[in-house]
Amino acid sequence: MMTRKALPRRTFLRGMGSAAIALPFLDAMSPAFAATTKPPVRMAFFYVPNGMIMDSWNPSYEGKLGELPRTLKALEPYKEDILQLGNLTHNTGRALLDGAGDHGRCSGSYLTGIQVKKSLIDIKNGISFDQIVANEIGKQTRFPSLELGMEDARQAGDCDSGYACAYTNNLAWRSETQPLPPILDPRALFERMFGKGLPMTPEERLRQSKYRRSILDFVTEDTHKLEATLGPTDKRKLDEYLSSIREVERQIDRAEKDNSQIDPHMDKPYGIPADFAEHFRMMSNMMAIAFQADQTRIITFLMTREGSSRPYRELGIPDGHHPLTHHRNQEDLIEKVRQINAYHVQQFASFVEKMKSTKEADGSTLLDNCMLVYGAGLSDPNAHLHEDLPTIVVGKGGNYFKTGRRMIVRRETPMCNLFLTMMDRMGVPVEHFGDSTGKLEGLNLG
Amino acid sequence: MQFGRGGKPSAGAFFDSDFATIDTFLAQAVLHGLQGKNDCRVAIVTMTRPNLPVAGFVDAVERYYRGPAGNFAQVPPVGVRTEGAAGETPAGVTAPFEKKGPDGKPLHENKVRTVIDTGDPNTLFRNYLEAQNDQNAFFVLAGPATNLAAALQFRGMKELIAAKIRFLVMAGGAFEANAGPETHFKADVAAAKRVLAEWPTPVILAGAEIGAAFPFPGASIAKEFAANSPEHPVAELYREWKTAGYNAPSDALAAALYAARPKETYFKVSEAGTVTVHDDGRTSFVAAAGGKHQHLIVDASQRDKVVQAYVDLASAKPVLPQRFRPPVADKPADPLLNKPVKQPE
Repeated sequence: MMTRKALPRRTFLRGMGSAAIALPFLDAMSPAFAATTKPPVRMAFFYVPNGMIMDSWNPSYEGKLGELPRTLKALEPYKEDILQLGNLTHNTGRALLDGAGDHGRCSGSYLTGIQVKKSLIDIKNGISFDQIVANEIGKQTRFPSLELGMEDARQAGDCDSGYACAYTNNLAWRSETQPLPPILDPRALFERMFGKGLPMTPEERLRQSKYRRSILDFVTEDTHKLEATLGPTDKRKLDEYLSSIREVERQIDRAEKDNSQIDPHMDKPYGIPADFAEHFRMMSNMMAIAFQADQTRIITFLMTREGSSRPYRELGIPDGHHPLTHHRNQEDLIEKVRQINAYHVQQFASFVEKMKSTKEADGSTLLDNCMLVYGAGLSDPNAHLHEDLPTIVVGKGGNYFKTGRRMIVRRETPMCNLFLTMMDRMGVPVEHFGDSTGKLEGLNLG
Repeated sequence: MQFGRGGKPSAGAFFDSDFATIDTFLAQAVLHGLQGKNDCRVAIVTMTRPNLPVAGFVDAVERYYRGPAGNFAQVPPVGVRTEGAAGETPAGVTAPFEKKGPDGKPLHENKVRTVIDTGDPNTLFRNYLEAQNDQNAFFVLAGPATNLAAALQFRGMKELIAAKIRFLVMAGGAFEANAGPETHFKADVAAAKRVLAEWPTPVILAGAEIGAAFPFPGASIAKEFAANSPEHPVAELYREWKTAGYNAPSDALAAALYAARPKETYFKVSEAGTVTVHDDGRTSFVAAAGGKHQHLIVDASQRDKVVQAYVDLASAKPVLPQRFRPPVADKPADPLLNKPVKQPE
């Protein structure tokens, strides 16, 4: 009888310099059990700022999802994978005697469930729940967690009525005083994921760009060696996977080339595409790869920062997002905010599509094993409300969530109750988190 | 609710009741009447029994006083306990929803269709206590002590109550010699015992004898309510509840009135001591220095003043809660907009 040694799950393609490419799950990693190995559960948070026009977000019904409301329309093909939650509340985002500053508070406390300290210098929050999970299971993956974003990672200064920018520009907090700033630059993320785990030094970057070589060129030898040991299915999987990395690399190269043509005074670091959708596509493609290759199981993604006044000229909207949300019930302004809300969801939908089309070792999809939370820290932005926060969970979290429906919980139910349930799904059960009052009941298939 | 200037706002009122007798509904109105006089702010109203039609009525009363939801404030949900018996649904709780205005639209809307339209009492206590200044709120209990006993076992609540609450006023007990069991205590003896033993602030009790001494005059429904608040939902309820002219016992009203105006001379107050609830629901009181319980004592000379206060406050025209933002001249620039926010004309 012939036996073959299984390929370790944590196999990397290594090469010259700093290249190190983690692999997706291949049958060769567990030949005898490939069909029965349960893929890990992953979670990601997509935070959008400045609330939502709620009448275009909430369906008028509870139960099975029918035609999706306008803002969620782009997710229509994936509605069977969506659990839309109503009435979740973040009390810690409210003033609670601290006066103005709803934007600073709501994003600062979004994943911590703690009322942040109103200060520009003496910042104080709590550890965010993604980091509690990362501390427990992070050792099983290359990166305990990835913190990503698309706009403004500055930490100092006043970003809302006396609240430090640290509160609006970070979602993940490692400790009470230590936020984890998001990576904004696709190149920096690429280098982190496929290099030593750190951005390249200027010398390394120069060397690589001088020869215009792909990261894949550096691991050719390792790739050939591996391919020789793989069956046809694994070969195809590997080829698709490496092609997706190459595609991301091309996108980054293209964006950098395009950026060299535009105004050098523009407020964007080198490498960050000017086009929002393009930027999102690059970042989300790498997120999908990170999940596929089990490089991490936890991602937080700040689409744009709370209080963002980014204009959306690509939609014909030159006005800033935040000022528009104080629409004073003027229909023309509300309409523009609706378009921005829908545009954000449209980008997210492209990521969902990618997750749904990527197969896991057991035949399920990547989306089946994920909990992708898309939401905001405010509901009605004009009124700065912290109840009925717009929240959807996409993916079944490993055959757990009963999706394809809208579920409304009792008014004032803490958002942290959802987090408590998610921590359970991630294998890190805790009794209490933030202002939770218990796990969210009725989410599961049972 | 926040205040831009002028120090602490008036005390936050937390009202918990079974809403089983007419005086409990009137007490909700009295607390809002006191809010209109700036003697308190109604923070949250909670119920000890899972009766959704009654919760819908209580919610409609809140909306009647608070007006439509606006900037930076929603009408908070009524907290409703989901365990236990629903109990009786008083005739008349749906009456206000059938009344229409001159434009043909309903004057009041029932927004409590299912339990999701209500809140969990403990969550509401916690969330709304956190929004109070220290020692600037009070609880009024007019029903079984079930919700408050449960709150004492909720994570961190005892400490929060100790920090924020000045005192609890309970419509409960009976302090006359040879008084029998009292309804609220009898309904949940264990809860009453727990609250009296463990509540971390002073507790003042308005016994059944207070309610019997100064009944609420039913004639005011046709007179003061009709003149001041003709669309008042509680007036509708009262009409359906009892025949015209029924004078209702008023212990819940006494508790609400004393809580918001403790320095007024409406009632005498006993010396400090300890109240004991017996297993059959009877009450006994022993004076003792350092005791944390007191009870109200009827002062017959105050009868007219007390009854007038009940009527005036319960039937007062609603005063919509003030906006927390200071006038435009005092408004600091919004750093996100980089320009002052104009108040609507």
